[in-house]
Amino acid sequence: MRNPVIDVTGLRCRYGDFEAVRGVDLEVAQGELFALLGTNGAGKTTVLEALEGLRAPSGGRVRVLGVDPHRERSAIRARTGVVLQESGFPADLTVGEMARLWRRGDHGPELERLDLAHRRDVRIKQLSGGERRRLDLLLAVLGRPELLFLDEPTTGLDPESRQRTWEVVRGLLAEGTTVLLTTHYLEEAESLAHRLAILHEGVVAVSGALVDVLAAQPARISFDMPGRHDVASLPMLTGDVVHAPSGRVDVRTRDLQEDLGALLAWARRDGLVLGRLRAHQASLEDVFHAARTGREVVAA
Amino acid sequence: MITALGAAEFKLLLRNRTAASLAFGMPLLLGGYFALAFGDEGWSTAVALQLLSTLGFTVYVTTTTSLASRRQDHYLKRLRTGAASDAVVLTGVLLPPLLLAPAQAALLLGVSLAAGAPLPARPDLLALAVVGGAAACCAAGVATSGVTSTAELAQITTGPFFLALLGGGIWSLGSTDARTLLAPGGGVAELVEVAWGGPGDPGLAALSLLGWTAVGGALAVRLFRWDART
Repeated sequence: MRNPVIDVTGLRCRYGDFEAVRGVDLEVAQGELFALLGTNGAGKTTVLEALEGLRAPSGGRVRVLGVDPHRERSAIRARTGVVLQESGFPADLTVGEMARLWRRGDHGPELERLDLAHRRDVRIKQLSGGERRRLDLLLAVLGRPELLFLDEPTTGLDPESRQRTWEVVRGLLAEGTTVLLTTHYLEEAESLAHRLAILHEGVVAVSGALVDVLAAQPARISFDMPGRHDVASLPMLTGDVVHAPSGRVDVRTRDLQEDLGALLAWARRDGLVLGRLRAHQASLEDVFHAARTGREVVAA
Repeated sequence: MITALGAAEFKLLLRNRTAASLAFGMPLLLGGYFALAFGDEGWSTAVALQLLSTLGFTVYVTTTTSLASRRQDHYLKRLRTGAASDAVVLTGVLLPPLLLAPAQAALLLGVSLAAGAPLPARPDLLALAVVGGAAACCAAGVATSGVTSTAELAQITTGPFFLALLGGGIWSLGSTDARTLLAPGGGVAELVEVAWGGPGDPGLAALSLLGWTAVGGALAVRLFRWDART
C-alpha cells in the first residue's frame, strides 16, 4: 500500500499489568472505510486511542497521516475528527454553545443536516441518546477532517438515525475522507466497510478486504433430516456434514451451488421434504463467530 | 480558544448551583465575616483570612472539583481530540478560578477598606500573596484532582490541603516562628502581615509559596489524568 493514512506495526498497549493490545498490525489507505470489529474488551477502543494520539503505546510503531500521533498530536489534531465512545459533553451547555465552542461559526447547515437545528438552544442533558450521538458526529465533521475516527457511532440509535449517520459517512467517503470505524453492528460493517479487521483478545484474528474475508469462510446449508434417514443416506457432498441430535443437518461447504444442487436432486428423486431449508454464503457474523471461537481463522 | 473554553467554563460554573455557591458565595460570606470579626484585632489578620478562604474555596476546591467533574464526564478526553493543545485545554478549564480569585480578593479588600482598614504599606507584597497563593493552590488542585475520581469525592479529598492552608495561615499570624512557612498557608499570611507593616521575612515567605507551587506542580505531573479509563 502506498502512503497509507494509518500504518501500524506491532502495536502493544498495557494498563498496568494487563496487556490489552498484544501486537496489532493495520494499514488503512486514503479514502477507504476500515472497520475494526471485536467483542467488548477485545482492544478496539485502546487501538483507537493509540491512533488518535491519546495513549502512548507500550510497543510497536504507529504512523497516522505520516506522523507519530502521540508525540506529534498537534500535527494531526486539526486534520482528524473523532467520535469517542463516550460523548464527553458537559451537560449544562446547549447544542449551539457546544458547536460554537468546538469551532467558531454559525454551523446552521450542519445542524440542519443532522436534524439538530431545532434543538440548538436545548441543554445537552435534555437531548435523547440519538440526538447526542448526532451532535457527536456533527462536531467530528465540522472541520472537514481528512481522517475520521468513529468509535461505535451508532450504538443506541434507532434505525432512522442510524441510516442518517450512514448517509453522512457515505457522503464523507465520497469526498475522499478516510474513516476508521468500530461497531458492534456487523451489518453496518458489511454495508459500509471496504476492508476490516476483527480483534480478539488484543490481536488481529482476521483481516482483509470484506469480499475476501467473506469468501474465505465456508458457506452453509442447513435443513431438518427427513424421517428414517441418516447421514449415510445423503448424496456425496464436498462440504463437511454435521448431524445434530435434534435432527438438524448442517453442511459447511466451499461449493454452495454444487452441494445444494446435489441435495435438491436427492430430495426430488426420493420425494423427500427438506424442512426449514436454508442456504447462504458466509456472513460477517459467521466470520466473527469463527474468529471468536478460534475456528477457521483466516488471514486474507 | 482559551477564552472560548474559559467562557464555557464560566457558564458551566454559573449553571451548577453547588459549584457556583462554593466559588462565589462562600469566600465572600467568610470574607465579610472575617472583616467584622477580626477587623479590630488588626486588619492584616482579617485580610489574610479573607485571602486564604478565597484561595481555598475559589482556587483550590474549584480547580479540584472542576477537573474531577470534567474528567468524569469525559469532557477532558473530548477536548483533547479537538483543535486545542493540552496546555490550552487545561488553562481554559482553569480560567474561572484563576480569574475569580484576584477579583474576589480585590472586592474583599475593598470591603475591608470601606470598613476602616488602612491602606497596605507594601501593596506589592499583597499582590505577591494573591498571585503566589493562587499558583500554589492551583497546582495543588490539579494534583488533588488526580486522586479524585468523582466530583462528589472532592469534598473529602480537598480536606487535608484545605485545612493545612487555613491552619498554616492561622498558625503563622502573629507568630515569628519561621517553621510556620512550611505550611502552605504560612507564606500567604506572612506576606499579608508584612504588607501591613507587620514582622516577618517576605523573601522566605515568597520562597515558601514557590516551594509549594513546585511540589504541587511535580505532584500534578505525576497524578493528573485526562481520562477516567486509565
